[in-house]
Amino acid sequence: MLTFTEEILLLMLDDDGLFLPIRGGAVEHILVGAALMDLAFANRIDTDPEKLQVIDATPTGNPLVDGALDRIARSEQTLDTKGWVELLAREQAGDIRQRAMNNLIEHGILEAKDEKFLWVFHSRRYPTIDGRTERAVKLRMEDVLLSDDMPDPRDVALVCLVDACDILGDIFSEREMERVRPRIEQLRVMDLIGREVGSVIAEIEESITMAMAQVAH
Amino acid sequence: MDIQEETQGSLVVVALSGRVDGFTSPELEKRISDIIERGNHRVLLDCANMEYISSAGLRVVLVSAKKCQNEGGKLAVCSLQPSCKSVMEVSGFLNMLEYHETRDAALAAG
Repeated sequence: MLTFTEEILLLMLDDDGLFLPIRGGAVEHILVGAALMDLAFANRIDTDPEKLQVIDATPTGNPLVDGALDRIARSEQTLDTKGWVELLAREQAGDIRQRAMNNLIEHGILEAKDEKFLWVFHSRRYPTIDGRTERAVKLRMEDVLLSDDMPDPRDVALVCLVDACDILGDIFSEREMERVRPRIEQLRVMDLIGREVGSVIAEIEESITMAMAQVAH
Repeated sequence: MDIQEETQGSLVVVALSGRVDGFTSPELEKRISDIIERGNHRVLLDCANMEYISSAGLRVVLVSAKKCQNEGGKLAVCSLQPSCKSVMEVSGFLNMLEYHETRDAALAAG
């Protein structure tokens, strides 16, 4: 089973292996939020609206998330979830992203393709070579959003993250979006980490809008 | 956390006391799973004495509600203290689950 971090990274890539436009450009915050979800579902951390705390500092065995666990466990600061998302996005997002990407390549889901444009500039894409995993993740999303059944907490967490990225429109057609919107509204608040990631990204968007308004004047 | 269990009509009432968090919620999940495995698919969580619920606790409530629903039953909640009620309201759980202000009201609703 893929981690949340790997699943959301997969969903954030388009068919050509380039990153979809993520709300607020906040790829780092999304990945860190996903890593915190992985730690929460591994019973290593717990959260409430006031704080995020380590309940078991034993490494999970997955280096993708153990760096974040170690960072939180060693900290003498008490921060809420939002505070940790912001701090880890600065300190660890690059490492988390690279490890998640490497895992997806090792699983045979993505491949790395280096390219040059204008003969000088180097770029790397991560096209999908086995689309079954991505389709399975999208099917899970469809199942949970198109049904009225009690959702599974893992699916709720994934919906919260995907909603925070604002990439549901890349998974569902416009007509389907109309149908699933009430369900999204219902689920988007149910996972605290997902909710806080959404709130951080909303703040980033707001600051970008304000900065652009100042430039325009 | 303390868990008291009693059968009231067709419902198994699970009365919670103390904190339901990452340390204690695995025990709650196991107790409710055991209840469901014994064939009781209608569970009422009486939270009158529950002082705190964290995200880990909320996840166990949701997992247990899903298990009950999968077996054709339900998991209802009653008697939340204001702080816990606020956490469940903000998290949308009270829109998802059947909620009653008192145990009597929950039992009357069946």
